[in-house]
Amino acid sequence: MVYMTYLLLIGLVLGLAAVASNPSPYFAALGLVTVAGMSCGILVGYGGSFLSLILFLIYLGGMLVVFAYSAALASEPYPEGWGSWPVSTLMLVYVLLVVCVSVFFSGGWFEGSWVTVDEFSEFTLFRGDSGGVALMYSSGGGVLMLGGWVLLLTLFVVLELTRGLSRGTLRAV
Amino acid sequence: MNPYVLSILLMGLGLGTTVTFASSHWLLAWMGLEMNTLAILPLMAQHHHPRAVEAATKYFLIQSAAAATILFASSTNAWLSGQWDIQHITHPLPTVMITIALSLKLGLAPLHAWLPEVVQGLDLTTGLVLSTWQKLAPFALLLQISPEIPLLITSLGLISMLAGGWGGLNHTQLRKVLAYSSVAHLGWMMVVMQFSTSLTALALLMYVIMTTSAFLTFKLLKSTDMNSLAMSWAKTPSVTALAPMMLLSLGGLPPLSGFLPKWLIIQELTKQELGLVATVAALSALLSLFFYLRVCYCLTFTSSPNNLAGVAPWRLESKQISLPLATSTSLSILLLPISPAILSLTLPLF
Repeated sequence: MVYMTYLLLIGLVLGLAAVASNPSPYFAALGLVTVAGMSCGILVGYGGSFLSLILFLIYLGGMLVVFAYSAALASEPYPEGWGSWPVSTLMLVYVLLVVCVSVFFSGGWFEGSWVTVDEFSEFTLFRGDSGGVALMYSSGGGVLMLGGWVLLLTLFVVLELTRGLSRGTLRAV
Repeated sequence: MNPYVLSILLMGLGLGTTVTFASSHWLLAWMGLEMNTLAILPLMAQHHHPRAVEAATKYFLIQSAAAATILFASSTNAWLSGQWDIQHITHPLPTVMITIALSLKLGLAPLHAWLPEVVQGLDLTTGLVLSTWQKLAPFALLLQISPEIPLLITSLGLISMLAGGWGGLNHTQLRKVLAYSSVAHLGWMMVVMQFSTSLTALALLMYVIMTTSAFLTFKLLKSTDMNSLAMSWAKTPSVTALAPMMLLSLGGLPPLSGFLPKWLIIQELTKQELGLVATVAALSALLSLFFYLRVCYCLTFTSSPNNLAGVAPWRLESKQISLPLATSTSLSILLLPISPAILSLTLPLF
């Protein structure tokens, strides 16, 4: 189990370095898919299966798909992957940086302290992520509605910014 | 813009600041700041020309970076101390990160470089909203966390006063001058924050009134650069007579009301044995005063610097409502004699 988490964390950090090394958006999106997938695996390993499911569905299945379509609209003739010199150099730099920082911080108090957010006694079990969702709908109802309103506001903002096609604010596409 | 969309955006702006004012949880405060950022973007880009879109893009990127830093810092604080309360943030690392993020949001030096370019790309009304309303919410948060990091806040204030003063020199565009004036005034508000949050609030209030007057004056005169101020005598002689007073009030000259916050701040700094800070503050006000004086000088011209064959500008009747301009100009010139009343109203409040 520890080995599994170890592999997932390595994949997470490599994926983050892949995104940060500035390739073309298609490859960066691939890096993001890797990051999200690995982090979902880690979440499942620590008991947050609901959160992991939501992350997969909404982040990868919703937002990343929309991003992929937008990146395809703004395509470039010679996309840069990790075969090109600047990108792979930057990726190497980031991986080396992570190795140095982890060597510097290794052996501290935070290495062995990852626990699940569950509470249980003889007959009850409280799962952290599902309990959080229940709280969001009960005590956090007002802020949930505020969050919904902010999302609606974001929709209006985006629609207003993209109104008018070639006569509007964003005239390239 | 579609009036329904406009009203939704303006109400979103109001709601964002209200939510941040009412919050005691960092996530809710962050939500209010994000609402402000989102709601002002279409207002910035409403004129659809590339300069406005560039200003909106720059503003969005800067504010998003600051908001992400606030989120990161508040999560770090929750990890280190186990709670999300705004006023109970004590660990220095998240406090410093949040202060830097909030100063990026406000446009405090040394994180002020975006402000002149963004304000320059906007029309005067949106620039006014950016310079006044958008400062309130980050200020509310800074006031609450300022007791933890007094040295950082005072240093940010000093650097802002000097950067605002020196940066505003040698400009011809009025919006950039007003942006640097904003940086300098924010500096004045910061230096006294560790001693008296009421004086900070008073300085902010006075700054809002004076900046409102400045932006509305330039909007009435339809001038965005100093050359076009020269014909203001022919457009509205009364405004041309009062605008120099308002600009010198921005510069902090007695007996105008802009002197009140500066006077009280220097007095408080001296009482707290920070004479050097008070001296540097007073000298940096001289720098700002120079470029305000230059704008006043341009207002006294009778013809704009132009070739002999140049065309005089159109002087059409203005449809602008005069009440906000009249109120803010009067307040920004005449408030000094009633400073005891102002103090008794504002000092107990914060």
